[in-house]
Order: sequence, then structure tokens, then C-alpha cells
Amino acid sequence: MNVTVAKTDYRRSKIHPKKFALLVACAGIMMMFAAFTSAYIVRQAAGNWLEFRLPDLFYVSTGVILLSSISLHSSYLAFTRGNTRIYRLLLAATLILGLAFVVLQYKGWQALAAIGVELTTNPSGSFVYVISGVHAAHVLGGIAALILAILHAFLLQHRITPARKLRFEMTLIYWHFVDFLWVYLLLFFTLQ
Amino acid sequence: MTALLATICLILISIIVVQIGKVTELAGKIRGEEEYQEQLNKRQANYSLLFMVLFLVATIASALYYKNSMLWYGPNEAASEHGSSLDSIFNITLFFTGIVFILTQILLFYFAWKYRGEKGRKALYMPHDNRLEVVWTVIPAVVMTFLVVGGLDAWNEVMADVDPGEEYIEIEGTGYQFAWHLRYPGPDGKLGARDYKLITATNPLGQDWTDPKNLDDFHPSEIYLPVGKKVRVRITARDVLHNFYLPHFRVKMDAVPGMPTYFVFTPKITTEEYRRKLGALDLNGQPKYPEWHEPVDPSDPESPKRYEAFDFELACAELCGKGHYAMRRVVRIVSEGEYEDWLSKQQSYYESAIKGTDDDPYKTEETSEEPAVSETPAEAPGGAETE
Amino acid sequence: MANVETKPVVHEEDLLIEEYGYDDHFHEHHHGDKYQSNFITTYIFSQDHKMIAKQFLITGMFWAIIGAAMSLIFRLQLGFPEENMAWIKPLLGKWITVNESGVGSLAPEFYYALVTMHGTILVFFVLTAGLSGTFSNLLIPLQLGARDMASPFLNMLSYWFFFLSGTIMFLSLFLNTGPFAGGWTAYPPLSALPQASSGSGAGMTLWLLSLVFFVVSVLLGGINYITTVLNLRTKGMSMWRMPLTIWAFFVTAILGLLSFPVLVSAFLLVMFDRGLGTSFFLSEIFIGGQALDHVGGSPILYQHLFWFLGHPEVYIIILPAMGLVSEVLSVHARKPIFGYKAMVYSILAIGFLSFIVWAHHMFMSGVNPFIANFFVIFTLIIAVPSAVKVFNWIATLYGGNIRFTAASLFGIGFVSMFISGGLTGIFLGNSAIDIQLHDTYFVVAHFHIVMGVAAFFGMFAGIYNWYPKMFGRFMNETLGKIHFWGTIIGAYAVFWPMHYLGMAGVPRRYYRFDSFAAFGQFDLMNQFITIAAIVTFGFQVLFVINFFYSIWKGKKMTTRNPWGATTLEWTTPIRPGHGNWPGKLPTVQRWAYDYGKDGQEFIPQIQPLGKDEKEGH
Ligand code: HEM
Ligand SMILES: [Cu+2]
Ligand SMILES: [Cu+2]
Repeated sequence: MNVTVAKTDYRRSKIHPKKFALLVACAGIMMMFAAFTSAYIVRQAAGNWLEFRLPDLFYVSTGVILLSSISLHSSYLAFTRGNTRIYRLLLAATLILGLAFVVLQYKGWQALAAIGVELTTNPSGSFVYVISGVHAAHVLGGIAALILAILHAFLLQHRITPARKLRFEMTLIYWHFVDFLWVYLLLFFTLQ
Repeated sequence: MTALLATICLILISIIVVQIGKVTELAGKIRGEEEYQEQLNKRQANYSLLFMVLFLVATIASALYYKNSMLWYGPNEAASEHGSSLDSIFNITLFFTGIVFILTQILLFYFAWKYRGEKGRKALYMPHDNRLEVVWTVIPAVVMTFLVVGGLDAWNEVMADVDPGEEYIEIEGTGYQFAWHLRYPGPDGKLGARDYKLITATNPLGQDWTDPKNLDDFHPSEIYLPVGKKVRVRITARDVLHNFYLPHFRVKMDAVPGMPTYFVFTPKITTEEYRRKLGALDLNGQPKYPEWHEPVDPSDPESPKRYEAFDFELACAELCGKGHYAMRRVVRIVSEGEYEDWLSKQQSYYESAIKGTDDDPYKTEETSEEPAVSETPAEAPGGAETE
Repeated sequence: MANVETKPVVHEEDLLIEEYGYDDHFHEHHHGDKYQSNFITTYIFSQDHKMIAKQFLITGMFWAIIGAAMSLIFRLQLGFPEENMAWIKPLLGKWITVNESGVGSLAPEFYYALVTMHGTILVFFVLTAGLSGTFSNLLIPLQLGARDMASPFLNMLSYWFFFLSGTIMFLSLFLNTGPFAGGWTAYPPLSALPQASSGSGAGMTLWLLSLVFFVVSVLLGGINYITTVLNLRTKGMSMWRMPLTIWAFFVTAILGLLSFPVLVSAFLLVMFDRGLGTSFFLSEIFIGGQALDHVGGSPILYQHLFWFLGHPEVYIIILPAMGLVSEVLSVHARKPIFGYKAMVYSILAIGFLSFIVWAHHMFMSGVNPFIANFFVIFTLIIAVPSAVKVFNWIATLYGGNIRFTAASLFGIGFVSMFISGGLTGIFLGNSAIDIQLHDTYFVVAHFHIVMGVAAFFGMFAGIYNWYPKMFGRFMNETLGKIHFWGTIIGAYAVFWPMHYLGMAGVPRRYYRFDSFAAFGQFDLMNQFITIAAIVTFGFQVLFVINFFYSIWKGKKMTTRNPWGATTLEWTTPIRPGHGNWPGKLPTVQRWAYDYGKDGQEFIPQIQPLGKDEKEGH
């Protein structure tokens, strides 16, 4: 796709520029959530703050997304080892887990509303909706990437070219990132 | 038609501009690039020097010219006690930055002039000089430290809230689109509770009439304050952000809906005294500040002189919508006696607008029974306010 | 290749590159240069960084003209509030109300809309996208010896998101309720409540949408710049050999990457408050005869989030200008930039400190006065690296052999402006003084001089200097010099008197001053400022004419390195094609500032060190 980036073997860092760019982008996304959580802390310190327990569904979804990370990573390993069946299978499993995560988040919001914490009840609840919602949007982006990866996996012959490896690695990095991000957010909500 | 004219003008200008450009390019070709550049350097270097001189003269002269209209010079001394400490920090900062300003501007343009390119001259190869660099890192650092320490010292003093046991007058300013609503606590010295849900056309501040502290609160249309008494302004907003700004008193604080703020200050000069200062005469009996002796209305020489009509003003200094520029109230600083006089003439808002109406919680069928107001100032233990 | 040199002249640069260059087998990957195959991929959806740079520049100029024209209209209001404005009714329509006697006046709503649009357009579209977007794109690959950006595709997207953002903002000008009118800082509740101001309805929705796309553009660009600088430097280009321009763009991109996402967060929360009834920033509001349900929000929280972006943003604007000026001054003084390492460390220090000073915009906003102590200290610390930079620029001129061109004049003008405006920052940063100066014309004077005018000067210096690299022709020098003198005199005439207004207590963002006796006594000064602004605008027209005329008719570039500069961009062909160097990539042998060393006029970066030559700095 991009031929002008020549294969430059003198490059100091071993990391591929595109992968590096993705990491930089993750840093940007991280800042967005850092802003949300700082705002949360500042607002919480100002009082008039409704305390509530996060519905258990959010813990279930955390388990699901952690699993999906494991399955995607295993799929990647299978890909590099040339094990086509496992590679395809786990990739599909990851997609299902990813979708399940989003659905569980949605159920989680419903559970929140059911215990009386609606979007507009109190900023403490609003923050949970907004932050987890924006996170879910980022997961949807990951799901789009997964769908692309699945199309590649099932439509193309399994060949381990540098380009395909790179593409897979980028999907993997991003998926791990949104996973890690959610764990951070969950810990944040629980411990705050 | 105008559009057509404008377009034609623009086209004409473009043609002229382009012609100027072409001619000068030719000149360069005729004379040979290097020589031409040298001549250009000389001319532009001279312009630089000329600009530097004119610029410095213009800045200094204009500063002197406008000096007496600026707030901490001439007759415009701060009208509050803390104000003069802020003004002196301004002047100290002006002193240091002024020196730096003049020196660096001179060096910049002087070097540009002095080291204009000449044929055959070689530039000095001087990539760095650690000693110099340390010097000009340390000097600003020291000056900054000095300024910070002085500034913060004053800041923390000015912004401190009143001490618990202290005597002070509390007043309230509420910004709304587009005016200030003022409230005084009345004889009990305490502002009553408010709830924004209670706001109606007749209850503009949402005062809770079941709170007895509210019953004597009054809503003047001007700020009256006695000279020399500490004042705590409670600053609130009803709709969007506003800013309670008293330029002559060096008072400024945002009014935030849902979060009362405050500013504490002590007026130190009455409006009358201030007017006299503006209108002062010098030893020869001539006005010291002639601009203040001009009539208020330039077309009517009989109208009062500017200094006679002077008043302190309250303004808004946070963009709050289309009427932001006109949220004016007059502030009058008077002697203790005049203040008492004025106070005694004020009628509580409850008395004048609420009592006996449907909003009055004390309203009874036949006669409105006098609720226990103000006669014996409630010695409410604990906080001066509730909200 | 799009190399237009006809005669096979032998260039010294080519020989050096041939001998020492690095062969990355560019041609083998590049059959027929598929990117430049037709008009659309060459001029519109181009992925060539040089074309994208031009797109950013010309779009930025478009916005600069619109933004400046707006300022003229509101300056007319301030200078001549009684004057008949009916003549612009054809343009502004219902925002000019004409009374019985035929005298038209500008509606206050629209005055505030103009001020707001002016601020937003100049800060974001012109001085962020137009400045950093243009020169980061143009110079990062060229000065680092890269074929293009790390991802030319994302780079193209970055421009088109900017374009989309601009289109949306432009459309908002024609809304029936008018564009957003609550100031470029968009503080809620004014910005969150459609009842609060006519521009806060659809106008604000489009404003938010536009700026979210803008942030996407900045981030796509920034990711690319950072990656390119870290990964695609040519052989020998160590970080310490990078020109200061690149350092500046690099740190700018990092600042943008870390601060713009925070703005998106703030905007999202505003959107929720506006549309979905949450109370992040709203509390206890009675407006339009109605008590709203929002309780518990804090408008101050928004200000924290906004200024966490807002302050770095001002450095995002000025750092690229600083980088360009450092390079231009050094090249035209024929001297190495003085204190290269100190300059780099200053950029880094400014970049870092800019993240911990944001609350100096909020001293009077009702935050706990105690916190102000920290912010005062850090704010005034920032003045130290800024001062170091100024001294270093002046020392760069010392002992030079200065060639006066439009570029170097604007470089010198930049330093003058930066001094004048930086020094007033020291007043404002000291919270005790800021009590009086906050939200007065003193602040307007401060940031227009230090950021507005100075950044424009940096941009002009850059344009005059690199125009030959962009278009293969020169801009007219005489017109450039007239432009410079007109602009520096005009800009000072416009903004210097505003200090006095501010010191007299006149608040900013006032539609007219005569409601107050204290603020209404400066009619003459306001007229003077308005006239100066119109004249200064006239000189910018000169620039625009010069710019477009020279694209087609300017003096042709006949040598590759007209300024005698050391950096890599001048080793490319006069009109470089996609990929920048036709053959091998140049390799870098020395730092970027060997001017006047060992009696040589200049030594290009591609020239190897002599036998026992020690490297520059
Ligand atoms: C010497 C270092 C500087 C210091 C100490 C400083 C300090 C300040 C302070 C305290 C304010 C807030 C004033 C107020 O609203 O009351 C301010 C406003 C501002 N400064 Fe600076 N500044 C410095 C340099 C700069 C630079 C280099 C830029 C831009 C390139 C800049 C751009 C601005 C802008 C845009 C505002 C106004 C924002 C607004 O309210 O709309 N400043 N500065
Ligand atoms: Cu206002
Ligand atoms: Cu700032």
C-alpha cells in the first residue's frame, strides 16, 4: 500500500513506523480517558456525589474482554506457526467475545438504570455512562478491525507475509490496548 | 454597484502592485545580484534602526500621554486598601520588564543594523558560549523569583476570606442576563437562604421566605458602602457565568451558577473625596487634570464637569451574552453617617413586595401577623449564611 | 520524475549524494509513480507531503482572510459605533438592523458571533493548521531526508478532515440563529444552553462538530509527524543534528497529541449536557423564566479541561514559528544559531511546562485561591526558557553578515513581537496583578502580540523563505519588504494601545464602551486602532497578491540552494517529485548550522567532516 516508506535497514528503532504510529495514537486515546478520569476526581471532590455499587455485569464483561485478548493473542501465535484452523477459530472466537463485551456493557447500563442510577441522576453515574460508552465506541473500532482480519483469514490463503503479519500485529496491539484501557477504567471506578 | 467598484479597485491595485514588483526585479538584474543585495541590506538596515528609534519613542511617549487615564497613575489611585499593594507590584514588574524591553529591542535592531551584510565580509563563527548562556538564564530566574514572591505574598493576603471573629459588612451581587441584582442583609446583618427553584418574577433571587433572615434583606439599585469598613461580597450567578468587576477597587471575581464565590475588600476613599481628587487644582489654581474639567456632554458646556459627575462603577467582566457590555451599577462610597442614613431608608424586599401576597408563608386569612423580624437580630450561632 | 531541469547540469549536491548517499532502492518500488498519475491524485487527493503542505497553506490563507475581515467589521463597531453600517447589509443581512432614518447598526448578537468566529478561526484554522500543518508537512520529510511521511495516506486524511471541519464552520455562519457567539473558549453554561444566546443552539452544535473533526485532523497529522521524526530520519541524522525547525515541529506534535484529546473529552461532556440532560457543567440555573433540573455540575471543571488544551495550544501555535525563525535568522545572518542545545532544551522545557500552567487563565474564576500559588510559580518559570530563546536569537545576529530579505525581516520582527508580548505575560502570570488585568484589553494586547502577530511573522518568514522550495519561484522581494514594514508598524499600532485600554480597566468582549463612564473615554484611541487595523489588512492584501502572482509569474529559481543553506531540502531538485530525491537518499554528516565555519560561507549537512574537523556544537 505504501511504497514510499522504503525498507530502511539503518533505522535505529526496530519497530515498524506504522506500528509506532499506532502506539502514538493509543497514547492520544489514553489522554482522552485521563481527562475523563481526572474530571471525575475533581468533580467528586466537590461533593454532592452519589455513591453506588457498580453492577456485577461490568465485572463479567471484564472477564469476557480479558478472555478475548487471550484468544486473539493465541490466534496470532497460531498464525505465525502456520496453524490455520486454530488461527481462524480463535479469531472468530475473539470477534464473538468482543461483541459479547459490547452487549454486556449495554446490559450493564440497563442494570445501572434499574438500580436508580440513570444517565442524568447524578454526575457520579453520568461519568460511568459516558466513560464506558466512549470506551465501547473504541471497542467497536477494534471490532471493525477484527472483522477485516477475519475476512483476510477466511478468504485468503494462509501465508505468513511481513505485510499480513504487520496487519495482524496492529490489530492485536489495538485490541490489547482497549482491553487494558477497560481494566484501568474498571479499577478506577471500583477503587474511587 | 459597490461590489463592482470594489472589484475594479482591487484589480487596479493588483496591477500597480505587480508593476512595482516587476520594476524592482529588473533593477536587480541590471545591477548584478550581489551588489544589489548589498545596497538593499544597507537600506533595510537603516530602516530597522529608524524603526527602532521611532518605535521606542512612540511607546514611551504614548505611555506618558495616557498615563493619567490608567488606573494606577495620576488621580486614579486604588479606591480600596488592598488595591495599592497590587498597583505597586504592577509598577515593580513594569520597572524590570521595561528595562528588558528597551534593552532587547535596542540590541535586536542595533545588531541587525550593525551586522548588515556586506560583500566580502565573513560572519563570526560563534555557535555558543556557555558562560553567557548561564548568565542570561540565571538573571531572569532571579528576577522571576523576586516577582513571584512579592506577588504571591500579596495574592494570598488579598484573596483570604474574612476571619471568623472579624467585623464586616456582607453584601451580595447576583449576575443575570443582563444586569446585577444586589442584596443587603438588612438589620440582622445576615443574608437569608436562597433556592434557585423558588425564583419567580416577584422573587428574583429565589429567597426562601420561611427563613427569617430573609425578611429584612433589601434589594438596592446601587451599592452603598461606608468608607474604611471591610466588605465581603458574596457573588452568585443565576444563569451563566458573569464576573463582578469593580475596576477602581481592583476587585474581580467570577460569578458562577451553583457555586457562590466571594471577594473581600475595604474601600478607603469616598466618592466625594475621589471626585475632589480628580478635580484638584495645582498651585497656580489651574486644573491638575484638565481632561476631568471638561463637560460631561461635550455639546453642552453647561453640563457638569466630568469630575463632578464621576462615580465608581460595577461592571461585568465575563462574557455572558449579547447584553454583557451594559451591566452597569453605580457604587457609592460614603461616610459612616451617610451610610447609616441610607440604610435606615431602605425597605426590606419582603415588606415591599411579598408581604401579604400569595407568596407570603406568613399570610393569614384576615390580617397578616407580624412575623418576628429584625427587631432583635437573631443571634444565630454558626455560619452567617445557609446555602 | 517530475524533475523539470532541462539541461543535464552537474550539481555538486548530486555528486555528494551519489558518493555518500544511501541507496534505498527507491526506484524499484516506484514504477511510474502511481500517486501522480492524474489531476485528482496530484492536486486534490494527493498523498505527497509537499502538495499537502500547499493545501494546508492555501486553506489557511483562505481562513486568515475570512477571520481578518470579520475583525475589521467588529473593529468598525468599536471604533465608530455611531457610524452607519447599512452598507454591509447585503453581506450580513438581518444582522444589520436599519432604523427609520436609514442608519444601520450591527446587532450585538452578531458582534459576539464575529468575535467568536474570529478567535476560533485564527487560533485553530490559521495558526494551528495553516502554520504547523503547512510547515511540518513541508519540512519534516525534506529536512530529515525522508521520502515522505510515515503514512502518506493518513497525512492526506488529516488535510481532508481539516477541510471538512472548515466546511462545517463555514456553514454555521449562515445559520438563521447565527454561528456560535460565546467566545472561542466556549465556557458553559453560555455554550451549553440554547436559551442563553442565539448562537448557542445550532451554531454551537456545528461549532462542536467542526472542532471535533479538527482535532481528528490534528491528531492524524501529529501521529505522522512524531513517527516520521523518530523513525524515518536518514542515515546520519541523529536527533542532535536535526534543524531547530524539526525539533519545534516534533515537540508541537507531542503537545497536540497529549492535549487535543482532552479537548474532545470536554466537548463530549458538553454535548451530553446539551443533548442528554446530564449535569457535568451545569448547576442551579434559572434562565428564560425557568429553573432547570441540572444540579451538581461545575462550570469550572470545563475551564480546567479547556485550558489543559488551551495553554499547550498557544505553544502549539508559537513553537513552529520559533523553529522557522531560528532557521531563517541563522541562514540569513550566515551564522550558526546561537546556543543550539540551549534552544532545544528551551523548546523541551517550554513544552513540558506548558502542561502545568493552565490554571493561570483561571485565577479569577472562583477556583481555590490557594492553588493559584502553584500555577503562578510554574507560569513564571516558563518565562525563563522563553527569555533564553530571545537572547539566543539576538546573539545569532551579533557578528553576522545579515542578508536582508523579506524572510529575515519577518524573522527579526518576530523576535521584536515576541519580546513585547512575552514581557506582558509576566504581568498576567502574577496572579496579584491579574486581578486587575484579567479579561481586560491588556490580555487582548498580550496574546495578539505574542501569539497572533508573532506567529504570523514566523509564518511569513517561513513562506518567503521556503516559497522557492514549494513553487520553484520566488516571491517578489520588494513587495515582501513593503509588506513587512507595513505589517510591523500596523500591528504595533493596532495592539500596543490596547495595553493602555486594559490598564484603564476596559474589559474585553464589549460591544460598545459608552455604557460606562470609565470605559467610554477612549473614543479617539479606538478610532485610531480601527483605522490602523484596516490599513494593516491592506498590506496583507499585498501579500496575497504577491503570493498568487508569484506562483505563475514569480522570478524563476535557477539554482537549487538560493539562500546558501546547509539543510537537506535544498539538495533536492528545484521541483522535487514524489519521493523528493530522484536517486539515492542523502546521508547526513554534520549538524545543521555550519555557517561561516573555517572561512567557508556554509557547509551543507551532506558534506563529510574534514580530516580533523570537529563537529559544530
Ligand atoms: C512569557 C510567558 C507567558 C506568560 C507568563 C503568559 C501568561 C499569561 C496569562 C497569565 C494569561 C491569562 C490572562 C488572563 O486571562 O487574565 C495569558 C493569556 C494568554 N496568553 Fe500568555 N503568557 C506567556 C506567553 C504566551 C505565549 C508565548 C503565548 C502564545 C503563543 C500566549 C498566549 C496567550 C493567550 C492566547 C492568552 C489569552 C487566552 C484568552 O483568554 O482568550 N502567552 N498569558
Ligand atoms: Cu457579562
Ligand atoms: Cu496560558
